[in-house]
Amino acid sequence: MSSDATSLPDGTEFRPSPHARRGGLKAGDARFGVMLLLPALLAFGLIVLSPFIQALAMSFYKYTISTPEPVFVGLKNYGKLLSDPTVRASFVTTAIYVFFTTSFSITLGLAWAIILNEPFKGRTAIRGLSLIPWIMPATVSAFIYGWIFNSRYGLLNAIGKELGLIEYPVAWLADPTGAMVAVVMTKVWLSIPLFMSFFLAGLQSMDREQIEAARVDGAGNWHVLKDHIFPHLRPVFLVVVVLGMIGNLQQFDSIYAMTGGGPVRATSVLSVEVYRRAFEQWDIGMAATVGVLWVATILPPAYFYLRQLMKGAE
Amino acid sequence: MKHLKTGLVSAIAALAVTAGAVQAETVEFMNWVSAEETGKEKMTAMADSFKEATGNEVDLQGYAWGDMNKNYVLRARSKTLPNVGQSQGRLLPIIAGIPEMQDFNEIFGKDKLAEMFPASFLAAGEIDGKQLGLPWIGGTIGWVANQEVLDAAGITEMPETVEEFKAALIQVRDNVPNSVPLGLATKNHNSIVLDYITWLWTFGGDVMVDGKPAVNSPEAVAALSFLTDAVSERLAAPEIDRPDARRLFAQGATAFYLDAPLARTFARKFSGRDMEIDPAVKPIKAPVLNAGDDPVSVSWGHLIVAFGDEAPAADSPAMQWVMHLLSNEQLVGYAVNQSVLPTTNAALESEEVKADTYLTEWAAATVAPRRNTIASMEKGAEVSAVIGEEFQAAILGQKTAEEAANDMQSRLEGVLAE
Repeated sequence: MSSDATSLPDGTEFRPSPHARRGGLKAGDARFGVMLLLPALLAFGLIVLSPFIQALAMSFYKYTISTPEPVFVGLKNYGKLLSDPTVRASFVTTAIYVFFTTSFSITLGLAWAIILNEPFKGRTAIRGLSLIPWIMPATVSAFIYGWIFNSRYGLLNAIGKELGLIEYPVAWLADPTGAMVAVVMTKVWLSIPLFMSFFLAGLQSMDREQIEAARVDGAGNWHVLKDHIFPHLRPVFLVVVVLGMIGNLQQFDSIYAMTGGGPVRATSVLSVEVYRRAFEQWDIGMAATVGVLWVATILPPAYFYLRQLMKGAE
Repeated sequence: MKHLKTGLVSAIAALAVTAGAVQAETVEFMNWVSAEETGKEKMTAMADSFKEATGNEVDLQGYAWGDMNKNYVLRARSKTLPNVGQSQGRLLPIIAGIPEMQDFNEIFGKDKLAEMFPASFLAAGEIDGKQLGLPWIGGTIGWVANQEVLDAAGITEMPETVEEFKAALIQVRDNVPNSVPLGLATKNHNSIVLDYITWLWTFGGDVMVDGKPAVNSPEAVAALSFLTDAVSERLAAPEIDRPDARRLFAQGATAFYLDAPLARTFARKFSGRDMEIDPAVKPIKAPVLNAGDDPVSVSWGHLIVAFGDEAPAADSPAMQWVMHLLSNEQLVGYAVNQSVLPTTNAALESEEVKADTYLTEWAAATVAPRRNTIASMEKGAEVSAVIGEEFQAAILGQKTAEEAANDMQSRLEGVLAE
């Protein structure tokens, strides 16, 4: 048998065409797939991977406004940050922020989706209007909420005074709890439309007869929710929780516009900490170090999310 | 032959026109004045008159005041620095490390500058023997009072001591509904630092003594206690930044606050009453702890800076623009419009400046200003952040004044030891 001949299972030999692609059709498909992926890979490499590698490298350097060239310091920045109580506090603040924004966004997004899944007059218009907070730039929303909570001209104080609940205006954003509540409320308001859309899509794929049958059998609202809606929406929950956590871990603009991370450091989440280190304290090396630690906190939910996606694809 | 001559003349004329067009350059001027309502019109007029005089255009690149240094640093790293820029005197040390910053001594000569500006103004732009900034407008940061608010509160005499000052604040609180008697900066670290050091100096303390932090000295604790009490007694409010204080002052809700002489221009704009409010805006001497003490004020001024790979020629379009800004025709009108002092000897001697009683009253109220040393420290931003955070912790009641002062001290020792 010549070297380029191939045997079929019945023992007959055949010689492939000299024009046939190396590796056969499968390899051709794979090469085509890589070609399709190439633009996205290039964009990812240029826009995401390259800056991240640069930031990772910068985290091993001292680079401040007074050092014209970066000075290699090894792991010193990491040691300094991990022993800094303000950075540890930023991790706690971030955890609180992510927990409350994610849970409230999911709960209210689901509730709103259930309402909008019911047939009633004007439902389509309300569904459309519900998307407004999502369309609006986060900074604009932050200013709207900033005015609602403003100590002097704010709506909240005006209502409180009108109802006789407060004697003097309260500086909500100057109070650590008030400031955290305000930034969480703003983010929840921004996130509800997106989460609602996910849940609504999930609910629309549900068999309504199943719920009607449960109701005939005497199931109340809670049982319908627990035994039928929740199990049906389980895959949606997985995606929404992980995406919500990633989005909230990355949040910067609305928090910085409303409180700048204050009062004191009450709303100084990791994104604000990176900004402060880079553009207020002009310490690019430390800012890169906080950024790397911040990415490390985003990686586990991102990995979990991707794993679920891959599982779904299989 | 005639055609040849005509052709040659036309060609030379065309070349001359083209050469003229090539020579017309655009000077990039990065500044915050053209980004603010109070100065935008004036700045555009100055750029227009420059074009008329020289044929060169000015690209006014306006950024918010708070974003200026960040943009300088980012543009230095991306090699896109403008030809000329504006800087705050106290923030100059932050950008002084940019290698492209030019020394005006090399461009115009030290003697010419010494002849043009008073030494005190020139010193504001000098770092390590290099004239990195040319003074543009100057003055001090001092106290300003709203006479209409004082009248409404029944205050007939300006307070002179800290005790009288507090009594006046209480009188305003009790007689002017919805007022914030003292426009104390309580929100933004950079603004807080200015108010904090002014009060610290008033009580006889200082941030650094003999090169070491001294923010938990008895004087410093007394100053912080005074401010903490002011907030808890509703004489000042949390969540106030300098722009908020300016608006409250202009709207008749605040009696006293700290600002540059620009205060009058802000009051005109934010009150909507233009010059009608002028008689109400009164520069006053800082309250003193004990009668006979020197009232404190802080040096303040805007500078012009230049960038380039090498020193530009004195007659380059960029330097022509610098001199245009500092010419009497432009500077006097601009300074009076902004309610500040011009910085050149010639402009200071002008009739228009001398006739402005507000400016002369301001100068009389703020003699012997001191330099804000925090801003020029290498770790000034970190020091400001520590002071701002501990100050906020005290006024919000999270810590007592003494605890906050002690924490401020230990944190500053840590920051400065690194």
